Amino acid sequence: MTPLFAAEGLELAYGQVPACRNISFHVEEGEVVTLIGANGAGKSTTLRAVAGALIPRAGSMRFHGRDITRLRPDERTNLGIALVPEGRHVFPFLTVRENLELGGFKFRKESTRVRTLIEQMFAMFPRLRARASQNAGTLSGGEQQMLVLGRAMMSEPRLLCLDEPSLGLAPLVVQDIFRTIRSINAAGTSVLLVEQNARYALETASRGYVLQTGSIIVSGSCSALKQDERVHQAYLGRAAVAAGSQVPVSP
Amino acid sequence: MLTVILQQGINGVVVGSLYVLVALGLTLIYGVLVQINFAHADIVTLGAFTAYFVTHLFSGNYFAGIAAALIVGAILGWLVNAVIFAPLRERANELLPLIATIGVSITLQNVMLVLLGPIPYAFDTPYSNNVIRFGGIFLTMQSVLIIMMSTIAIGLLYAFMKFTILGKALRAVSQDRETAALMGINPNQLIMLAFVIASALAGMSGAMLGPVLVLTPFAGTTVIVKAFAIVIIGGFGNVEGTIIAGLIVGLIESYTTQFLDPGLIDIVVFALLLLMLAVRPTGLIAEKREENV
Ligand SMILES: Nc1ncnc2c1ncn2[C@@H]1O[C@H](COP(=O)(O)OP(=O)(O)O)[C@@H](O)[C@H]1O
Ligand SMILES: [Mg+2]
Repeated sequence: MTPLFAAEGLELAYGQVPACRNISFHVEEGEVVTLIGANGAGKSTTLRAVAGALIPRAGSMRFHGRDITRLRPDERTNLGIALVPEGRHVFPFLTVRENLELGGFKFRKESTRVRTLIEQMFAMFPRLRARASQNAGTLSGGEQQMLVLGRAMMSEPRLLCLDEPSLGLAPLVVQDIFRTIRSINAAGTSVLLVEQNARYALETASRGYVLQTGSIIVSGSCSALKQDERVHQAYLGRAAVAAGSQVPVSP
Repeated sequence: MLTVILQQGINGVVVGSLYVLVALGLTLIYGVLVQINFAHADIVTLGAFTAYFVTHLFSGNYFAGIAAALIVGAILGWLVNAVIFAPLRERANELLPLIATIGVSITLQNVMLVLLGPIPYAFDTPYSNNVIRFGGIFLTMQSVLIIMMSTIAIGLLYAFMKFTILGKALRAVSQDRETAALMGINPNQLIMLAFVIASALAGMSGAMLGPVLVLTPFAGTTVIVKAFAIVIIGGFGNVEGTIIAGLIVGLIESYTTQFLDPGLIDIVVFALLLLMLAVRPTGLIAEKREENV
């Protein structure tokens, strides 16, 4: 069976500065896959390539078996790939409802469908309903994270890419967000999860890839990764966990 | 005295509302692109001349003239983006488009100079000499028409930006282009839309400024200088601020003409501009950016 998404030998660079080399990974239908790695390892860069915001210098990407390597971000969204970028990026001067509406931009000619989807998002995140006509910039960090999750789900993606959904959030809020991610996955959406908080990531995902300075150094099932000496030392030590969950890390 | 103040107030609002139309276009383009289109001035001028000739062609039907100016403006906006901004954007150079539009502006002005000559055209519409009187206040039908048309245009633009999905997408592109693309929005299409709307407004305001201004190939330039001031006073990319600033500049212009000297208009406007930059560099209505917790 062809995987839902597959990347083959991606070479990613910002201008002349290379960021990632020979990145290959895949996501099966229904899976949660995680990319973990230290700050600056190339996780966000890889997700940007998946969403089409960064065109690779070499390598290819397939979605449902179709070559999407050269497609623009909006074309990929229409095919069913959604990215929640690092740092959330709500549209600060649009209301919560307008943010959600734009998440469903590809359904703009089906107004009842958009309304139904917005209702679903409000059911999933009741706090957003209370703030529906408030500007998104006025929400707390946790509420903004819920909003961008809901906004991404408005396009009914097959593959949901999340870049550091726990970044800078209080532990209780992080638990909430991860519970939601699991239920989104249980409802059938595949998830590609990038996290510095490796403990949460490895508990939520079934498989993972470990990035170090732009290359994948280990991959495998999360239970195997948890036992891996390198992963353990680098990301699951006491200090690392404390750092991952408490200190807001600059992008 | 009171009638003079009222009379000049009305004149100020008439001119100011046209400045608002021009400035809103600049703001719209700046919002989505963070770029300035210097050829915007010449779209105003071409709108004025289009209206002049079409009105004459249709034996005095001024509305045909306004409609034609609007269409010509829209086409010119499409061209400026397709030929200059879109190709240069690929090269990610910020200065090139600016310089290119200055070049386009100079070229257009000289072409018009050759074709139309330097002597001002007398653009009288059927409504210019149709005067209504309220006590001591005189109002031409032309002024009434200008206020009505610009109010309708501003209202439609506002409703478009506020209530339609494309208007919301335009605002999203202005706020965060990369994230807007993740929503399935093609920013290039929205940028084109902004150019077409902005330039249609410029063409239309040219049609209505034509009878007010000294109509030469350089007419738009005097307007655009004030429009830039309005955009800055109103806070770049801010619609409400632009409307208020445009009306203020229109009022300053008519009161300066009445009580001081018409030659001082630009000095007063730019003194206000400098004051604003010193006191409130973010413009009249600062958008509140609350801290993200
Ligand atoms: N916009 C950018 N321009 C240039 N270099 C960048 C940019 N974003 C990231 N990088 C570089 O690419 C590398 C990978 O960064 P990133 O993908 O953000 O890492 P991570 O998400 O794993 O923390 C880093 O060396 C970083 O400095
Ligand atoms: Mg990152």
